[in-house]
Parts: sequence; structure tokens; C-alpha cells
Amino acid sequence: MKNRVSIILTCVVIAVLGSSCNDYLDINTNPNKATAVQAQLVLPQALAATANSLDVYNTYGSQIGGYAANAGGYGGFNETVSYAYTPNNYAGNWPLAYDNLEDYQYIINQTADDELNIHFHAVAKIMRVYNFQLLVDAYNDVPFTEALQGVAFLTPAYDNAASIYASLATELDDAMTEIVTGNGLVGKNDIDNYDILFGGDMDSWMKLANTIKLRLLIRGNGKVTFANTSFNSIGFLTNDALINPSYTRDNSRQNPAWDTWGFAYTGSAGNKAWIPTTFILTFYDGTKLNDPGRGSAMYFDFPNTGTNQLGYESTGIPKSPDGSFWYPGSERDGKVAGDTTGVLKGPDAGYPMFTAAESYFLQAEASVVGLATPATGTTQELFEAGIEASFKYLYQLPDGSQAGDYEEDAADYIASNNNKLVQFNLALSQAEQIEAIITQKYIALNMVNSHEGWNEYRRTGYPSVFGRGAKTTFASIASQSSRPDFLPSRILYPTSEIQYNSANVPEGVGSFSSLIFWAK
Amino acid sequence: MRKILLVCLTAVLSLACADLKAQERTITGHVTSQEDGSELPGVNVVIKGTTNGSVTDQNGAYALVVPTGSEVLVFTFIGLKSQEVNIGGKSVVDVSMELDVSQLTEVVITAGGLHSRSRELGSANTIVNPETLTSGKAVNVAAGLQGKVAGFQINATSSGVNPEYRLILRGQRSMTGNNQALVVLDNVIVPNSVLSNMNMNDVESINVLQGAGAAALYGSQASNGAVIITTKKGKAGKTDITLSHNVQLQQVAFFPKIQKKFGSGGSAYGTDPAGYGEFNYLENQSYGAPFDGSNRPLGPPLEDGSQLYTTYNYKPGHNEFWKIGVTNQTDFSLSSGDDKSTFYISGQYVAVTGTTPGDKFERGNIRINGSRKLGDKLLVTYVTSYAPNKYDITSGTGAIYTNMLNMPSNVDITQFKDWRNNKFANPNGFYNPWYLNPYFTADTQRQLDKNAYLTGNLELTFTPIPGLDIIARQGISNRSYTQKQSIEGFKYSDYAKQTDQSSKTDIPATVGETSNQSTQLVSDLIVQYDKKLGDFNVNVVGGGQLIENNGRYLAVATSGLVVDNLYNLGNGTGNPFYVENTFKQRLVGAYGKVTLGFKDYLFLTGTARNDWDSRLNPDNRSFFYPSAEASVLLSEAVPSIKESRIISYLKVRGGISKTGLVNLGGLTQFPGSFSDYGAYYLKPTFSSNLNGFPYGSLAGYSVDGTLVSDVLQPELTHGYEFGFDMNFFDDRINTNVTYFHTRTDNQTVTTLLSNSTGFGALLTNIGETQAKGLELTLNVTPVRTDNWTVSVGGNYTYLENRVTEISDILPQLSLGTSGNAISAAVAGQSFPVIMGLDYERDPAGHVIVDKVTGQPTSTSSNVILGNATPKNRIGANAVVSFKGLRFSVLFEYRGGYSVFNGMGPEMDWSGTGYRTAQYDRRSFVFPNSVYLSDDGNTYVENKTVTIANGNGNNGFWSDGINRNTTSNYVTSGDFVKLREISLSWEIPASFITKTKVLKGAQISLQGRNLFLWMAKDNYYTDPEYSSTGSTGNGTGLNDIGQTPPTRNFGGTLSLRF
Repeated sequence: MKNRVSIILTCVVIAVLGSSCNDYLDINTNPNKATAVQAQLVLPQALAATANSLDVYNTYGSQIGGYAANAGGYGGFNETVSYAYTPNNYAGNWPLAYDNLEDYQYIINQTADDELNIHFHAVAKIMRVYNFQLLVDAYNDVPFTEALQGVAFLTPAYDNAASIYASLATELDDAMTEIVTGNGLVGKNDIDNYDILFGGDMDSWMKLANTIKLRLLIRGNGKVTFANTSFNSIGFLTNDALINPSYTRDNSRQNPAWDTWGFAYTGSAGNKAWIPTTFILTFYDGTKLNDPGRGSAMYFDFPNTGTNQLGYESTGIPKSPDGSFWYPGSERDGKVAGDTTGVLKGPDAGYPMFTAAESYFLQAEASVVGLATPATGTTQELFEAGIEASFKYLYQLPDGSQAGDYEEDAADYIASNNNKLVQFNLALSQAEQIEAIITQKYIALNMVNSHEGWNEYRRTGYPSVFGRGAKTTFASIASQSSRPDFLPSRILYPTSEIQYNSANVPEGVGSFSSLIFWAK
Repeated sequence: MRKILLVCLTAVLSLACADLKAQERTITGHVTSQEDGSELPGVNVVIKGTTNGSVTDQNGAYALVVPTGSEVLVFTFIGLKSQEVNIGGKSVVDVSMELDVSQLTEVVITAGGLHSRSRELGSANTIVNPETLTSGKAVNVAAGLQGKVAGFQINATSSGVNPEYRLILRGQRSMTGNNQALVVLDNVIVPNSVLSNMNMNDVESINVLQGAGAAALYGSQASNGAVIITTKKGKAGKTDITLSHNVQLQQVAFFPKIQKKFGSGGSAYGTDPAGYGEFNYLENQSYGAPFDGSNRPLGPPLEDGSQLYTTYNYKPGHNEFWKIGVTNQTDFSLSSGDDKSTFYISGQYVAVTGTTPGDKFERGNIRINGSRKLGDKLLVTYVTSYAPNKYDITSGTGAIYTNMLNMPSNVDITQFKDWRNNKFANPNGFYNPWYLNPYFTADTQRQLDKNAYLTGNLELTFTPIPGLDIIARQGISNRSYTQKQSIEGFKYSDYAKQTDQSSKTDIPATVGETSNQSTQLVSDLIVQYDKKLGDFNVNVVGGGQLIENNGRYLAVATSGLVVDNLYNLGNGTGNPFYVENTFKQRLVGAYGKVTLGFKDYLFLTGTARNDWDSRLNPDNRSFFYPSAEASVLLSEAVPSIKESRIISYLKVRGGISKTGLVNLGGLTQFPGSFSDYGAYYLKPTFSSNLNGFPYGSLAGYSVDGTLVSDVLQPELTHGYEFGFDMNFFDDRINTNVTYFHTRTDNQTVTTLLSNSTGFGALLTNIGETQAKGLELTLNVTPVRTDNWTVSVGGNYTYLENRVTEISDILPQLSLGTSGNAISAAVAGQSFPVIMGLDYERDPAGHVIVDKVTGQPTSTSSNVILGNATPKNRIGANAVVSFKGLRFSVLFEYRGGYSVFNGMGPEMDWSGTGYRTAQYDRRSFVFPNSVYLSDDGNTYVENKTVTIANGNGNNGFWSDGINRNTTSNYVTSGDFVKLREISLSWEIPASFITKTKVLKGAQISLQGRNLFLWMAKDNYYTDPEYSSTGSTGNGTGLNDIGQTPPTRNFGGTLSLRF
């Protein structure tokens, strides 16, 4: 008491004399959170967040793009099956990508004039491009030039999607140049210990950048004026790019896809409201194609896997088993399940951010349309390499080892399916070749990066769909779409943009009428 | 021996006096209190027209030498009616003084704990006396104030065993900062939650300072007005003991209106020949066939083949889930005192059982107040209170209510009570796979909270010379909190997981612990000097203040518990959730106040204060704010009024003020709403524990979502007010009229941003708000006789609360969200407004539908759907007393605003919503709709184009077009509540005295919130509710997690010994 009275007296006297009690008041240092961190420390977290975000994009792609349908025992799917989207549907895609982008932007800003961290700058740039493409492919025009600048632009203007594509390709060129510059730089900081994607292998980063650029050029082909259409001679991804910060069966440390569809670390089942579509199974069960290798590598109970056509809600629809149909293992106790092949594999598997299969199919398409790329093989070789890479990924166990002979099984698959979607030499016209490539890519992306399969469908119209039957189309039977394929053309801008950026968000966007700029 | 000496002395004095008898004489006497006959020390006795006088001693005795010609003595004492006594030829003048209950000289405790006379105050204030406060026997002080003070809007923002209240005086000023009135308990600033944990019977008086006038002395925290609560002290020479017991019942009331015609199913299962959706035994959406009374299965068959059946008709069983809550409150108090000290102790114990099965709440309260004089220059006053409480409740009440609103109305939920033994009630066999049995939820999701509030104040008043007081004061308020949350795990049978009910997934057992310590220390040093100079009276106050806030918060939770029924953090698996936070904030204030009185009818007051606040950058942390006010007592200054027989009192007053407020932070997102005191907001932060990080030795950080600025400034509120207090006919009619106007600029705002900025929120200084309004109070006592008193009265508030400016780049700020609705600050609009999607409309306001499908479309962006702040509020009361009987009633009305009902979309989704059956689930023409004619220019009234699927579960009512169109659920918020009604009987003394022990006894009956009349279009819930809780400014929205409102009624017996 006495002490405080004297502080008051002192303070009042000092205050009145015109000074202030700075020592007494200088206590505003945050003891709870860091207020400045090194850019390097942000990289691992940002990459892990990309994996989390991809899991949400994969879910969106699986539902809208024909890989997953509503399961028995659930109801109330509403817009998810009628396609009459409101701004609330899939509204999470938007903030996930932008929040993640802010982390990469932070690394870019912090290392901008910091030559020794040039590799951090370069990889953050590559990831920035990757995430912006995710956004453009989902939303078309999005804030880009004014985005991620904080206070400078509080309501960022929207950029034309095609012009964003052009800028992204240039950013990749810059990033590749920086990697090369950094490789020759003595004393630079290596990203090794922070890189949970390639473990510091800068050649892989170069290949990733080259492959993302390839995807941009193929999608933007004829619609975007790219400043530089050539590629770095290092070539494209030949191995799957997997993000893995050391996922393990633990609270919030599981592979995100496993956590969503498989089991929580406590052993409780994940999401059971979705099962495979009848449509996608036709590519495995012999209806259209016969693929017992990949079918049983990724589906539970194959070929008797339960399926449904989207929008069909009634009793009698197959129920999802605990751990979902996408976990093929027979060990269904959630506390020990895992360590299998397929798309979920287990709690400790890496998360695919770009597969070799997609890389090969992009190269094959480039070859068909005559896009100049570094020589890597004939179209057919690239096409078959894509199929083989898909087998390789699906046969892989979480520890990276192979559970079967992917080379032999891929060769058997190609040999046994006398179908122009599999045997490339049967696809004669350019259209047939593209159909084969995209259909195989659609199969390879099944529950891996489902949103990319959906993007390619919208761009090319493949895999072919017709009618309303469960085996001929993946469109919902409850579809309200006015399009000939009964599918939506896109999701809407999220509620948050309508609320907080209403002056800029494009008007008149409809889920049946508005197209992504590269879409048919 | 001493006596002899005294006699001698007296004789000598008498002789001396005798000599002087021609000029003067001595008058002696005793002054006593009329109330209880005790002797009054310290009473001023002055010869009228002079400054000569004396003061009564400790026995109430005085002696005064009076010169010849002096006829009148004036007796004055603070709090008592002054008396003028004609001495005539008397030499002994005994006086009995009565309590002064009129405003004329009423002494109020105002800012800083200083005593002022009501007449000196230039700004509006309202005194609420204990009788008015406690008449409804509300358990919470805030509830006891509802409807009783003009300009004071008190909302019960939720229900439960100990509901939260939001206290807003004269509208909202800060867009996103704290707008709640400051609560000061015995000169100690306390958190609002203390109101719900103090003993209302301890209250001596409450003074509500409506304007910012208190800010100079309490500092910036009082810029939202202040509620100054003074607790009882003992009285000299009198010992009182009271004992009372109160029992109240709490009954859930006002359920939302639901459709009672259709049960489970929907058009996704097909339609029957009559066109209705098919019945389904599993479906929780009520879009099936019409009720027909037949016996139908409820849920799928169980593993043993048994099947539950129920009659397919409406059953009120839903509502019978909620129990009658019981509140038992026991109070004890003892007060005593002598000439040197006073003493007051009280104790209270409250036990509540809630309306949700299994909810329990207990609260205790101990208070010790007292004072002691040390010599005649030093007074020590102390007040302390310790109030522990304990909640043992379910954490799933929100989920339970949601579940009930979703439930088809043919389900009688009460049959599922015994979930451990009844196989149909057990989670394995419960008919509904998507929602847990509410009895199971209530039983297995538990929360045990313990709070302890300690408040205290120690005050030393040193009076070295008359008129000079030096006051040193140390106040403390401390809250210590612990919470344990647990969820009992459940492992489903394989059968349950793999049949129709496959959506059932195992529930992992979980436990979490939270603790919080928060302490506020307030130190004051005040010097007050009072001096009379001829007709002038000068009062000067100078002071300094230190405020320090400390908060510490820890939480740990773990899931997947291994050993059953062992709810311990050590029993978990995997990476636990943990968070640790410490906050500290300090403020230094220096202030002064000068009051100048002229002839006791004209008063001018000026205040000035400077604060230095640790939360701001050193360049901005110092801010200064002055105020001035004046009051003139026309009923004394103007002879014609003074002599008027009609006007008994007339005071005209006015004031102008500027206040600064550092509006940062406040309540954090942590459960239990702990304050971060606004510390550490100037720098960006990074999170280290997202996405599973750290993974072993691999750390990872992420940029947090709020953009900050280190140049933040305090918010400044400029206000003025003027008004008058006027009484008529011997104070039988009292009126107060005040007009107020405040303008707050430099707002510190956290606004949500487009994620494309890279951030989710921005903290900055922008914008301006304005509040203006009128406060009227009228009390009429038409009958006042020995036996009868009848008084009626009321208060009326008109409030216009607007946002005048935000910024060009951010024309609107989102303050709260519920479903698709936001509560927003929009420049040029009322503050706040409800925004959301509407239907596209033609210029005349008709809904435009598609010419073929008959379907409306939603607007592509948000539009303003209503104003969320009541423009008009009325509190009306009446009191009738006859001898010992007293009856009082209080109504409250609020009108002129809208509310978004968050349960609406959910109820429409589930098909229980009343709206969903308005067209009998048939195809229908959208009401008042138009469509665009073929020429594309004109709109044609639509009478024929119908919406084909007028059902749900794939149909119009459950579709997004209906549920996401916010305007469907925005209704008028107008209501009238029967806030309080009470009847009490003071048992006549003739009965009491026979007991010889009792001094008095009273029996009373009370009811609170017995009836609620809402606007016709609002059939959802109490419009007072707010989904942003008691602290959010985004009012006007409620959500489904808020349990239904309750009515209370009960009785009290109190005894005085």
C-alpha cells in the first residue's frame, strides 16, 4: 500500500512535470507469442498447411468431379447434390489457399534482399504460384496484383484469370533463375532442414517449377499470352512430390487425407458420409476398363466396393465402413489401421502435392498438341509412363516401399485392356489421344488430387459422360444444372468475399453459366 | 469528586453567563435520529444568518452561546433533512432529525467514492434504492436493474443457471471495442461478472451515472457510463440481524412455433400418391407424410430384432425434456456500530438446479464491511467480499437444443431418458443416427466450473483540518477460475455402425482443464478541499491513480482416454492441446475537479484528467480529457418559483465532456471469456502450434491472421447533455428530462477482411459513431396517506445510434455473424444494422421469380435488412402499498428494431419450422411475386407459376434458396415483458412483538419475466438474446445454441432480529 502510494505520488509529480512513467508503463512486450520469426521457420509450416489445404480441395474435387457420392445412412446433402450452389458451398477453399499464400508471401518479403536466403525466396515463390493456380482454377478471376499486401490494399481488386496465368509462368522462370543463382552461391543458407517436400533437393524444386509451368501452359494454351514458353532443360517431375513433416498417428499430426477419411488418432472413424461413385468404379471393375491391380490397391472390398450415384438418397444405398472404402486394409481397428497401398495408405504417409503421373500425362498432352518441351520420350512412352507412375504411387506403402510389382502390373493392365483409353496406338485422332491421356489422368488423380481431375474434365470434356445413368455420367441425379452434361461449371465466390470485398467481387457469377477461362 | 467539580464549573459558568445575560445566553440540547432514536454526533448547529455555530459531540449533545436577537438555529447533517428551530425563550433545544428522502439535498455517492449533493450534479444520474432493486428478487444485480433506469439497456443475452447480461448506457459508442458500462463496487472497478456473483441484499444504493461525467475520476473505463454500487455499512448504536430465505422456480417458456402436421421423411425418398414426401423411420427431417395417428416404426430394428414403434402424430414430449429449475437462496446479515466504528457482515448461499437435466449451480458469498475512527482525524474504512461459485453443468446444452428443434414432433423424447438401461435410448439403439440422445449428451458431456471472486477496498481518510480530506485507497478484485470438461467415450457395436445407422462413429473420451487468474489493483490518492467563502463554496479535488491488470490463463486438453471413467490429463493419448497466456496492463491517471457553488443554488464543475496507458506506443500513450458541467436550482434561485405551490423543485443542468478510451482487445476467444486487457496488440504475431507443429525437433511458424498497427490512438468521445429535474405538488410528481448527444471518433476497430489481403482481420483507427437521445423519467404518487401509498411511474428512452463515417476503403464493418446474417456498422446507417441476402425484387418490392420454375433468386450481395438497436424503450411500474402490504409491477417495452433469428434456417432445414408448412407442403405460388414479361422490360404479377417441389429434403423449404436468404428470418424485435411482479406483506408489529426476539418479518411472492409478448412475425425466441454474448457489439443476431428463455416465480420469507 505504502509502496503504491509512493508510486502514485512519484508518477503524478513526474507526469505533472511533463515527463511520463515510462519504466512503469513499458510492459507491452508480448510474453505469449513470437512477434518476429525467421523466414526459414515459416517454410515447414507453410508446406504442411498446403497439404491440409489440398485435402480440402481434394474433397471438393471428389464430390463435384465424380469420384465420390453420398453414402447410405446420411441425408440433407442439398446443394452438394443439386449443384444450386450458394456462396456457402465450398466456402473454405478460398481462405485456406489465401491464408497459406500469406505464409509464402511472408518468406518472399523477408528474404527479398537477402541473397543468402535466395533458395527460401525461390521455393516460396514456386509454392505461391502453385496456390494461386489452385485459386484461379476454382474461381477464375481472383485478387492477385493487389492481394497479400496487407494494409496497402484492404479490398484487393480482382485480376483477369488469364493475365494471372501469364504472371505465374513468369514467376516460375524467376524462381528457377534464383535457384540456379543460389546453387552457385558460397555461404548461402540451405533449405534442407526446413524442406518437408524434397529435403533440400533443389533439382526436384526446379523440376516441380517446370512441371507447374507446363500445367499453366497447357491449360492456358491459346488463351494466355505467355512471355516465355520455353522450359528449363532440367525436365519435369519424375517422382511424386510428397509433403511429409513426419506425419504420425497423433493428434493433428496425421496425414490429412487419412485424418479426413480414415480414422482419427483416437481410433474413431473419419468421414463416412461419402463412398465411391458408380461411375468411377467402371474404370476398374471391367465395365469400361479392367484394373484389378489399382482397384484392389485403393478400394476396400474391391470389386464389390459399395458405390452410389451422386444425389441418390434412399434406404438401401451402401454404407461406408469405418475408415471408408478408400482404405483397402482388412485391419479395421482405428487404433492400428494403416500401412497399406492406395490413396490413404496410413496416418504417416506423405501427402501428394504433385504426382509423377500427372507430370507424365501433361508431357504427353504437350507432345500431342505440339508444345515444345525438353525431349523426354514419345507420346506413347510418356502416356505409359504416366500409367506406370500411377501404379507406382498406388502400390507404394507409407514408408516408400512397394507392396507389389507396379511395372509388371502396369504392363499387364495395358496389355489386357484392348481399349483406346489404355492402348495409345488405338487412339488415332488427336481428339482420341487427348481423351486417352485425360481419362488416364482422371483415373490417376482419383482421390489423389481430385480437384485436378475435375479441372481437366471442365477443360477437355473427358472422361466422356452422357445421359443420366450411374455408369455413364457422374452428374447427380438431383442435378438442377441447365448444362447439357447436367454438371455445374464452377463454385461461387465465398460469402466472406461478398461480405468484406463486395465492391470488387464479380457480379453475375452463376454455378451453371460462368466458366473458368480455360473451360469448354 | 468529578461530579462536584463539574457542578462547580457549571456554577461558575452560570455566573459568568449571568453577567453577560443582557447580551447573550447558552443553549444546550441533544440531537437524535428520528429513524431509530440514536444520538447523532457531528451535526452542525448554526445560528441562522451567521457563521457562528457548534457541532454535536459523540453523545449528540451540543452547547452554543447565542447572542440576543438570534431567534433561529439551523441543524444540518449530510443525509438528513435540515431543520430550523425557533429558540424563543428556551435554553434547552432537543432536536430529532429525519432522513432526507427528497432529491433536494439528497447525498449521492458519485465518482471516486466522493459524496455530492444531488443538486450539484450537472449530468444525469439515477439512484436505484434497495427496495426497487430487490422487489423482483432477481438473483443477479443486472437483472434487478432491468427496466428501471432511463437510458440503460440491459439484455439477458442467454439463459442457463447463471445467465449473462449486457449493460449498455445511452447506446453503443465504440464499433468493436467495449461499450459496457463500468461497474464500480465500493470504489473498486470490478468485472461485470461480479454482478452475477454478489449478494443483492448487500446493496445500500446504486447510482447509475448515465453520461461520461464519471470519466474524469474513474478514468477512461467510465466513458461508457458507470454503475456505482455501494454496499451496506453498519449503523452506530444499533444492531440488526436479518435472515431470509427465497425459493424460486424457473420454467422454460416461449418455445419457437413449429409445424405440427408432418413427420419424418421427405421428397428424396419419393412422394406418395397425394404428393407428400414419403415417410422414413430414420430421417430427422420432418418432410414426410402428414400425421395420421397410425403406429409407425421409429428408427431401424435393433440387433436383437426388436423394433420401436410410436404413433405418428404430434406430441408435446419435446418440451417436457426441460425441467423446472429451482433456486434456493438463504441470506443472513448482521450490522452494528458504535460511535467509533461500524460493522456489517453478511452471508449468502444460493443453490440452483437448472432447466437442463443435471445442471447445478451453487454460489456463496461472504461480506465484511466496516469502519473505524482513529482519533478524530483518521477514518479507516474496509470492504471485503469473497464469492465462490460452482457450476456442474452439461457443456452440450446448445447441441441439445439444436437437436430438439430438429427432432420430428412425433418423437416423445422423454421415453429415452434411461439411456444406460433402455436399449432404444442407448446410443447403439437410439433411433436417430445423426444426433445424440439429448439425455445421453447431458449425462456424458460435462463441465465443472469453479470461480472465486475476491473484492476488497481499504481506505484511509485523513482530515488534518476541517474541510481538507486526504484519501488513500487500495482496491483489489480478483477472480480465480478453474474448469474441468469431460466427455465420456462410447464405442458403438458393429451392428450399429454398419446398418442404416452407419453414420454412428465412436466417441473418444476427452478431458480438458482450464485455469485463469485475473487481478485488478486500483490505487488512488485523492486530496479534497472544501471551503466556504461568503456566498461561494469551493470544492477542489486532485488525485492520482494507478491501475494494474494481470491475467494468466492455462488450458490443457487431451483425448482418446485409455482407462474408462478416469478423467485425468495423464490418461490421454497423443499430442495434447495446450495454451498458455499471460497479460499485463497498466495505467497511470492524474486528475482534478473543481466545483464552485454560489448561494447553494448555482454550481459549476470542471474536471480534467490525463491518462498514460501501457497498451499504446509511448508516443501515443498519453491522452487528456476535460469536462464541464453546470446546474442551477431555479426553485431556490428564482423567488417566484420558490414560492410556487405547484413546483416544489426545479433544477436545470447541462454538461459537456470529452473522454478518451483505449479500446483494444477485451475478451479473448478462450472458453469462459477471459480478458486480455488489450495488451500486446501493436505487433503482429506468429503461431507455432498449427498443423501439428512441432514435429519432433522440426518447428514451424505461421503468420497470424490479424493485421496490426503500432500507431493506434485512443478513441475520443465528445458528448454533451442537458436537462432538468422538476417536481410538483410537494414532490408528488417527479420528472427528469435529459437530452444527450455523443460523438465518438478515432474508433479502434478490428474488422474482418477479405482473405485475399493475406489476413482475416485488421486493427486500426477509423470511423465515427454518434448516439443521441432523450431520457424521460416520471413518477407520480397520487395517494400518500398514513396507510396508503400509490405510485406509478416509468422511464422512456429514445435512442438514435448511428455510424456516421467509417472509411472509403471499408464502407462497412462486420461486428458479428450468425448463419448468413451479419451485424454490421455501415456508414450513414443505424448502429448496428442486420445485413444479409434478400430475394431479388422489382422496384415496387415484389419478389422476382423465374417465369418457368417460379423460383426466386437471392441477391448476389448483402443488403441492409434492419436496424438492431431499439429506438424506443419504456419501463413502466406501479407500486401500491397499504399498511404492511406492498404490490409492485414492472413492464418493459422495446420497439423500433429488428432481429435475425438464427434458429430459423435450421428449423426450416429440419422441417419443424412453422414456415415450412404454410402451403401444406404443396407446390405454391411464391407470395407477392412477379416475373419478367417476355418483352424483358416489365414485371407481371405472378398468380400462376408455382414452385414445383413445395416440400423439403430436396425441395424448396430445405433448399439453399429458402434457408440462405437471410431476410426470411429477420423479424421485428419489438416486445413487451412483464419484467417483475411482487406482493409483500410486512407482518404487523403486534404479532411480532409477542415473540420478543423478532423485530420484523416479511413474506413476499415474486415473479420475473412471467410474460413476453412479441411482434407477430417473430415466433422464434427472446429478442434480447445475442449470439455475440454479453460483450459483442454485433447485436441483433441470435443463434440456435441458446436455450429457450425462462420465467421465474417464487416466494421469500425474511426475518429481522
